[in-house]
Amino acid sequence: MTGMERVLAALRGEPADRRAFTLALSLYGSRLSKCPTKEYFSDPRRYLEGQREVARLVDPDVLFSPFALPFEALAYGGEGVWLERFPPNIRKPPFREREEIEPLGDAMFLDRGVSYLVESTRLVAEEFGPAKPVCAVVTAPVDLPAMLLGIETWLEILLFDQDRARRLLDIAVDHFLRLSGAYFAAGAAFVAIPVMFANLRIVTQALLEKTILPELTRAFAQAKGPLVYHHGGNRIVDHLGLCSDLPNVAGFLLDPRDNLSEARDILGPGRLMLGNVSGPGLARMLPDKAYASVSALLADRASDRNFVLASAHADIPCDTNPDTLLAVRRALEDAGAVA
Amino acid sequence: MTKESVTDPGARREALYALMLGAQREDALAMLLEHAGAHGFQSAVSDLLEPVLERAGDEWHRENLSLAQGYVAGKIAEDLLVAAVEAGGDLLLDVKGPVVIGNVEDDYHSLGRKMVVVFLRAAGWKVIDLGNDVSAKDFVDEAVKHGARVIGASAMMLTTAENVRALRTEIDARGLRGRVRLAVGGAVFKLRPELMDEVGGDGTASSAIQAPELFDRLWAASLAAEDL
Repeated sequence: MTGMERVLAALRGEPADRRAFTLALSLYGSRLSKCPTKEYFSDPRRYLEGQREVARLVDPDVLFSPFALPFEALAYGGEGVWLERFPPNIRKPPFREREEIEPLGDAMFLDRGVSYLVESTRLVAEEFGPAKPVCAVVTAPVDLPAMLLGIETWLEILLFDQDRARRLLDIAVDHFLRLSGAYFAAGAAFVAIPVMFANLRIVTQALLEKTILPELTRAFAQAKGPLVYHHGGNRIVDHLGLCSDLPNVAGFLLDPRDNLSEARDILGPGRLMLGNVSGPGLARMLPDKAYASVSALLADRASDRNFVLASAHADIPCDTNPDTLLAVRRALEDAGAVA
Repeated sequence: MTKESVTDPGARREALYALMLGAQREDALAMLLEHAGAHGFQSAVSDLLEPVLERAGDEWHRENLSLAQGYVAGKIAEDLLVAAVEAGGDLLLDVKGPVVIGNVEDDYHSLGRKMVVVFLRAAGWKVIDLGNDVSAKDFVDEAVKHGARVIGASAMMLTTAENVRALRTEIDARGLRGRVRLAVGGAVFKLRPELMDEVGGDGTASSAIQAPELFDRLWAASLAAEDL
């Protein structure tokens, strides 16, 4: 079976020759292709070369477009920072507290960073798409204002200035729809959305239910393809039930601290569930331990056809031992078919 | 029953906690000011705010409290401190410390630091807040200048947490290890607890509300090291 066939089997709850899996190896491609990080995250052809190496070494069933969300915010201004062995980041958010933010519209695609993201997706999908689905990653509309203004200002607005929050969310939803639409047009099979501000570790239940979820519903309902809801760095099982009916969400990626059986009970049978190996945690894991940990996880999910083994949290760090990644793959092969 | 009519201290604390959880900042401040009017600002802090913050800190540690609720708690504490200063009341400010706080070099995520500053001040600490993007040299220069025994360094991400190493090196290079303790904090330290040792921190807290307890401990450790 191809990666695409395995993923579709998981989506439909059908048997497969082995468990579908993916690891967030966007950044790791720079290590494998020996490309300086700045060049890797600036030139789509270098990104493609890196993903070729990822496919050659690890051969995951799903490949990623660049995991570089800060480019979305930097299209509005602000100051980026480049550090070797890390993806680009935001040094200073584009806006200060009191400024009104203007929507970019399609002008966002003229921005160098955003055009790099879309073009990289197109190149990877063109080369691998039929066999390996390509997953693009987009900032959640409820998180974009935090990247534009800083977390503190966005939190203050969400809590105490509902009118301004609504205006910002209108801009963020428009941004989300344009960019996710561009990714689908470029060949992405689905779009993953790490969601931070829909989490009870971050917001109150009242904010979640009255403001956040209605905005996610509005945005996701207009998406041009299937979405994967990414836990966004915190556990989500305690409010997963509130998010489980969000439109166009094909699957949920769980936090490593989330209990998968509990999540399955909440989602019910037939819903795609992904998880929940800690991506950054692999950097500190010896191959034997990674093998044992993944084997245990797969044994726990053995009867769950709608499960895809995936790394959670952020990109897998550059200093992760390649043998650890291969141990994950070996555990997967040794676990055998999905009956 | 209105919140003003609640006279039992336990019930008042319960009411204040509920207002904080519901992000009702103005009502919470009104309750604290009403208490301060009757019993003084020090009592409003010691008998109402601090026990509520302690409980909030425990719940935050157990991940039962959201960042938004912690943020509101900080705002309520800040509002009360401002009111106390303006009223020139009996509140004991700047009775501990001083300590030096800042975001490490290249880190501009100020939310956590600002919350720590508020909770420290509410607990009586004198805080020298150096702001964002503070070099290792500036941290130590300011600590020496003010006689601070604790430096608090905040970093949100792994990339910037790595810059704490330079601060550790600077403290040690000036022969201040033991005397000047290094408190580290930020989202990444909660996600990767082993990072504190890796970058050379002397202690961390799992939430901003718990920072005063950490600083008490580190200050005491600094004094104890000097007695040896």
